[in-house]
Formats: sequence, C-alpha cells, structure tokens
Amino acid sequence: MKKIHTSLAPYLGILLLLGAWFLVCRLELFSAYVLPTPEKVFASFLDMLFSGELYTDVAVSLFRVLKGFLIAFLLAFGLGMLRFLLPASEKYYNLLVQFFRNVPPLSLIPLLILWCGIGEMTKTVIIILAAFFPMYLNIVKGFTGCDKKLLEVGDVFGCSPFRKFTSIVLPYASADILVGMRIGMGYSWRAIIGAEMIAASSGIGHMILFAQEMSRTDKVIVGIFVIGIVGLITDKLFGMALHRLFKGNGEHGWN
Amino acid sequence: MAGIDLKKIQKSYPVEDRILPVLTEIDLHIPEKSITVILGKSGCGKTTLLRLISGLEQPDGGEIHFGFSHKTAYVFQEARLMPWLNVWNNVIFGLKKQEVDQTKIQNILDIVGLKGFEKVYPHQLSGGMQQRTAIARALAQEPSFILMDEPFAALDHITRQQMQKELQRLQESSGASILFVTHSIDEALLLGHKIIILENGRIKREFIPPEETKERDILSPAFITLKREILRELDL
Repeated sequence: MKKIHTSLAPYLGILLLLGAWFLVCRLELFSAYVLPTPEKVFASFLDMLFSGELYTDVAVSLFRVLKGFLIAFLLAFGLGMLRFLLPASEKYYNLLVQFFRNVPPLSLIPLLILWCGIGEMTKTVIIILAAFFPMYLNIVKGFTGCDKKLLEVGDVFGCSPFRKFTSIVLPYASADILVGMRIGMGYSWRAIIGAEMIAASSGIGHMILFAQEMSRTDKVIVGIFVIGIVGLITDKLFGMALHRLFKGNGEHGWN
Repeated sequence: MAGIDLKKIQKSYPVEDRILPVLTEIDLHIPEKSITVILGKSGCGKTTLLRLISGLEQPDGGEIHFGFSHKTAYVFQEARLMPWLNVWNNVIFGLKKQEVDQTKIQNILDIVGLKGFEKVYPHQLSGGMQQRTAIARALAQEPSFILMDEPFAALDHITRQQMQKELQRLQESSGASILFVTHSIDEALLLGHKIIILENGRIKREFIPPEETKERDILSPAFITLKREILRELDL
C-alpha cells in the first residue's frame, strides 16, 4: 500500500487537475471554445503528432533554445572566470551587467526586430538575455564563494592561478554552475515562447499564437502541455547530471 | 649552518578601529636539516609566523631569508582536503601527472596508516584520518622544507605517538628541514632539535635539547630538567 502511495504521489496533482477539467467540461460550465474537452485536446495532440507538425515545431524551438542557452552559458562562464582570475576587472562591467539584469528581455523585442529583423538572430538574442543572468549570478557565486582555505592549499603547492581555477575553484563551484544552468534552461524556454509569439513562422510559440488566431483553443492547450513536458524532460536531465556528478559526495555535493 | 633567517619580523592585523600587533621584532634562525619546534600558548602568534615563512602572508616589516633551495609543503591545523577528491587523489593533489609514482604514494599511505582507504572520500573519514591524509599529501611532494601547524592535534594518543616516530624517521632519512608548531611540551621535547618559546608575539627563549644517539627518553633526568625550565618560561 505504501509503495503504491509513494509511486502515485507525484501524479496526484495532475490527476486532480485532469479530473476537475473533465468534470467542468461534463457539466458544460463553459463553452467548448473557451475550454475544450480533454478528449478533444488529446485527439488534436495525436493529430498533430502523426501529421508531424508538432515534431517540427518542437524541434525548431528546441534548437533555438539550445543555441541561445549554449551561447549564454559560454558568455556567463567566461565572464565569471574573468571575475575570478582578474577580480579588479569586475568594477568596469558590474554596473552594466546589473542594469541589463533588470531589463526584461521581452521589452527589447521592438528594438531587436528593428535592428536584427524577424529572423533567427532576434530570438537567439532574447534567449541569451534571458538565460545569461541566472547562470552568470550562480557561476559568480560559485567562483567567488570558493573556500579560501582550499585556495591556500593551492598556494602552498605552488599552483598557478589557472591551475587553481581548474583544480580547486571549478570543482568547488560545479554545484552552483549546474543549478545556474538548470535555472537558465527554464528561463530560455520562457523567453523563446515569448519571442516566437511575436516574431516567428515556426516553433511552439508560433504554433500557439497561430492556433489562437484560428480559434483552435484545443491546439493552444496542446502547445502548453508540450512546453511543460519538454521543459520537465530537460530539467530532469539536469537533475540527473547533478546527481551523477556528486555521487559519493553526499546529497548533491558538499557546499 | 645554513637555514632560514628571520630578521626583525613585524606583523599586525587591523581589528575594528585599532591595530593588533601579532608578532614583534622576531629574530630567528631555523637550521637546515633538523626539526625546529615553536612552542607557545594559543594566540601567541605561532600560526602567523608559519604563514609568513610559507609566503601565504607578507610581513609588515623585516625580512625572511632562505639559505637553501627549498620545496615547501604545509600541513595546516585543519586537514583542508578537497571534498570532491578521494584519498588517493587528495594525496597526489599538487603533483604533476608524470610526478606520480604509484609505489611511492602507496608507501606514504602505508606510513600514515591509510592503506585500503584510497577510494574513500573525505566526508567518510574520521577527523584523525583526514589529518593523516593531509600529512600524506604533504609528504607526497617530497619536500625539503615542511611547515607543520599542530598537525597531530586531531589524532588519538597512540596514533600521535606513531606519527611522531614516523616523522622523526622520515626527517632522518630524507634530511628535510621541518618547522613544527605545537602547544604540547612533550611533543616539543620528543621532536625538537631546537625549541623556541613564543609568547605574546615575541621569542621568549630558545632551547637546544641534549643530543642523544638513540631514541629520546623524555623521562630521563636531563629532559625532565628541561621540561621544568620550559614550564617555568611558560609561567605554568
């Protein structure tokens, strides 16, 4: 009994939501346009899956997210590394970083469309802006929060600053880096949908907006579910990486 | 005799709005190829002196001169192991890949009594075992100069005695120079070729224990007299 309970517990919320949805539709509290039935949504989902349109939209969005995320990660890592190796450099760019951190990337869309057009560039830049800051802040926290006592061990063994970075700071910060990446990935997904709703001809965001224009609320709901599921899967992958990396180091690392 | 010479070393730390002197006018000769013990109560500046000699911190005044080429290793008061590395990788930390000699490292692990614990992570070890790993890490460097800051404080009595013997043996065979900080008078008597009493940031007195051909017996009359004298110096 307890086993069934623990294996079912995570799905209880979802089941309740589905049940309520089903019930509300059965009672016909709203019109089918405002809230399509679960059966209708599921049928549309299968339709889109077999016709291949869903696959294409997911692939396009996923590619954009990964591209923007990767560039954002490299920038955040590079700048974080610079901050550790040359702490004096921080004062030159910190204010600028803090300024842009407080600007929502979506507010830049009008300018970006003006400057970069409605091509891939705009979407990539929006994802970079959204994913960069949580990763940068976590990476900097990891790098600068490194235990000074361990760094002194590197000093007495005559390690160069770069060697200290690779063999002490980087492993010490790895938990923070991965947490930052995990949050950054979530932010990337949020941003891509926003970007695709405004300036795109493909991708899940575009699919949702197009479905709205065609009054296909069922397709809108399919889109929302797909985003949630893809987001869950990528998050789960990060969770697994985190767990694997810190095996043997207690619960998710030591710092 | 060659060694390390400290001349008029000064060090102070700012604490809130005043300046707290830690070391004042330290003149000291640390002879090469022997064990020099710094003895003193806690807070007398022992650790600071070690940090200055190791180069981790710079003195406010005075100079430190090394009269021999040295490869330094430092055993801190705490183990300071890398939590993400197992015992083996902690011990070879600081060595380049081509410097890692398997049998030599095995031998060191044997000396510190950690054979069979190579794959264990620091958080799975007891405090004493962590400290022994830190000692092994220092020895793996094959240093010519070892700074040790109360390295055996976390060890139980029996292990402590074993490690003291091993340290003496190691020093004799390798000819390394060792600067050893402790607050245990017996440990100082057992190990020191030169014992320096540090009090309130000043060197109060230096002792040279009698040379013995065989193992030291700190219960012999000569050593008991010495211990009384040290106790008097420390106002105990």
